[in-house]
Amino acid sequence: MIRTFITSFKLKNTYRANSIIYSIKQFPIIRKILLNSLYKNRGLKIFANIVSILWEIISIFIGKIIYIAAMIFMALSWYKTNSADTFIHLFTFLTFAGGVLNTYMLNPTKDKYYAIILMNIDARKYGLSNYYYQLIKLVVGFLPFTILFGMILGVPLWVQIILPFFILAIKLIVMNYCIYDFKKTNKASNENLPTKFVWGFVGICLLLAYGLPAINITINATIFLYLCMIAILLGMYSLVKIHNFKDYRKMYKQILTESNVYMQEKNTGTQAMKDISLKQIELDKNYTSNKSGFAYFHDLFVKRHRKILTKAVKKQSVIILAIFLAIIIGIQINHEFRVKTNEILMVYLPYFVFIMYCINRSSSVTQAMFMNCDHSMLTYRIYRTPKVILGIFKERLKTLISINILPATLIGLGLALLLYLSGGTDNPLNYIILFVSIIAMSIFFSVHYLVMYYLLQPYNVNTEIKSSTYKAVQAITYFVCWYMIQIKLPIFSFGIAIIIFCIAYSLISLFLAYKYAPKTFKLRV
Amino acid sequence: MKLIIKNLKKHFDKKEVLKNIDFEFEEGKIYGLLGRNGAGKTTLFNCLNEDIKIDAGEFYIEDNNQKRKMEAEDIGYVLSTPNVPEFLTAREFLKFFIDINKKRIKNEKTIDEYFDFMKIEEEDRDRLLKDYSHGMKNKMQILVNMIANPNVLLLDEPLTSFDVVVAEEMKQMLREIKKDHIIIFSTHIMELALDLCDEIVILNKGILEEIDKNNIDNAHLKNKIIEALKEE
Repeated sequence: MIRTFITSFKLKNTYRANSIIYSIKQFPIIRKILLNSLYKNRGLKIFANIVSILWEIISIFIGKIIYIAAMIFMALSWYKTNSADTFIHLFTFLTFAGGVLNTYMLNPTKDKYYAIILMNIDARKYGLSNYYYQLIKLVVGFLPFTILFGMILGVPLWVQIILPFFILAIKLIVMNYCIYDFKKTNKASNENLPTKFVWGFVGICLLLAYGLPAINITINATIFLYLCMIAILLGMYSLVKIHNFKDYRKMYKQILTESNVYMQEKNTGTQAMKDISLKQIELDKNYTSNKSGFAYFHDLFVKRHRKILTKAVKKQSVIILAIFLAIIIGIQINHEFRVKTNEILMVYLPYFVFIMYCINRSSSVTQAMFMNCDHSMLTYRIYRTPKVILGIFKERLKTLISINILPATLIGLGLALLLYLSGGTDNPLNYIILFVSIIAMSIFFSVHYLVMYYLLQPYNVNTEIKSSTYKAVQAITYFVCWYMIQIKLPIFSFGIAIIIFCIAYSLISLFLAYKYAPKTFKLRV
Repeated sequence: MKLIIKNLKKHFDKKEVLKNIDFEFEEGKIYGLLGRNGAGKTTLFNCLNEDIKIDAGEFYIEDNNQKRKMEAEDIGYVLSTPNVPEFLTAREFLKFFIDINKKRIKNEKTIDEYFDFMKIEEEDRDRLLKDYSHGMKNKMQILVNMIANPNVLLLDEPLTSFDVVVAEEMKQMLREIKKDHIIIFSTHIMELALDLCDEIVILNKGILEEIDKNNIDNAHLKNKIIEALKEE
């Protein structure tokens, strides 16, 4: 078993080191200098290996300190209860929740997939040795911090020391239950897709954890002692059961499917990624179209992707309406709120750049366009003739603008109405500018994403993003919008500026798209 | 009509994949393109399909001694992994293709006639392509590429996913359409190349050369091809 573990550890380290080299290679300038032979370079290999091992060591501790500090220590200030008891209380219930959410063993990770499925390493030896390794890391990682925070809060020393073992015991019990369940039902549960039952349990744990101290109830060291004794006894029993379980291979075969393994990493281009996109296609083929040519083609695309297109926007609109309604009611009943709202409205228009950025669907829609449509269609040369490219571009632009404009209209009208109800403005032009600028932003984002997609088409045939320019543009878009949050400018000047910008940008980028898209819109190789 | 490639070069990093491609393909023939794994067959196709930029050289169509650029309409490219828009039914996909190629299609048939021609069963015609099997998707891909009636048809390992019956039908179909087309067919299966193709072309060490198969029997030809492919 130890040899299996060492093999698997080396394997993990190798591909981690390779991914480090790969990411170094992603920088545009470095890529030009460095060649593929990079992966053979000894010095670089050693460097990447050291980074990888350092990361392994750091990762033992970093998550734990963040967890205790953020989930437990910071929460203590909310309560009037004894801090030491509350610490034990939160720790105990969060451990229950964490126990069912993260078993390590049933997490479909790439390491496991590579080792067990692709390289055919003995599943039991692999599973168990890595499980024990995780558990050891768990105790080693938690111990310093349970002691540290325990000392700060005056938790008894024996509790400080026993807490990590309590977590360990809970993990073992849950794992044993999962194995028991698997033996009974022959169905292995993927822990990244928790059932409603699991979510319910976690919900209750969280409620008990953070709710009870609020009404001055916590468990104390004595209760914890009893819980601990039971848990550790059951944990030891579970350990024996887990160790003696034979059918790990069968269990892993079920969990380690490609779609499970790659589900976590949305950006990874794989068949699995495609599978997820395919699920967006609605099976009902009764939607038909009586148009022809690209209008027909696009019409069917829209109708079969209603889930991510129109339905998503309708949901957004309902939420927006609800928010405005709540604010309007607030304005009516509270004078202070009303004055404040008016003040905010007059200078917070830049903030709405970020909001419009967040609610705009274009980024995910263009992604679906690629995954479910262009990915296959771009391999047909005839689809890449200027006439077809621009014809479909036009249809898509219309669709994107029209689906995004519904929530934008609601926000624009809502803001104007709020401004009026909260006390109005000296300059009546402000109402119009407010509305028009929101619409302009919505159109801007629609145009922006579509034009970027057509000019930089970043995907290759395996649906991997191959363009660093595209990533950079996305990042810049985000940062600019995010930066706008901090700016406060009057509606009038900012509104006019943003409207002019949006119109100018849209015109220029559409011109560029018409000129260059027939050349740039193709699969990356 | 001829497809003429002159001094075409393509490299990746330091590796010269296509060193100097110089070749004339003629209408009415099926060319079997043979090459070892990684020899650059797909790269050559990608270059002709303008999926990637070429480093040097040119390729063009020569029609009645008139040289002209190879346009998108001239080329059909059937990939080894079939790519079809999975949100459409087979019928809708065909309709779309017929719509956008209206002008180019000589003696247009009805959609069902195309399906009949490709031997796609009635009950499959209105299913979403996402539920098609690999082989069925491949059939659709070939059909669509033929409807557009391109002058040059590039086929990258197209028959390997078909069962023996369909593969035979496809071969027959390619023989039927070859007289107005330039068909270039890449494959690893020598028997297929010998059986179907009029000319055998070998891509080795970045160079394209034709194997002269006049006056030799199949067994000798095979040996000759393998020798040519082994050359270092």
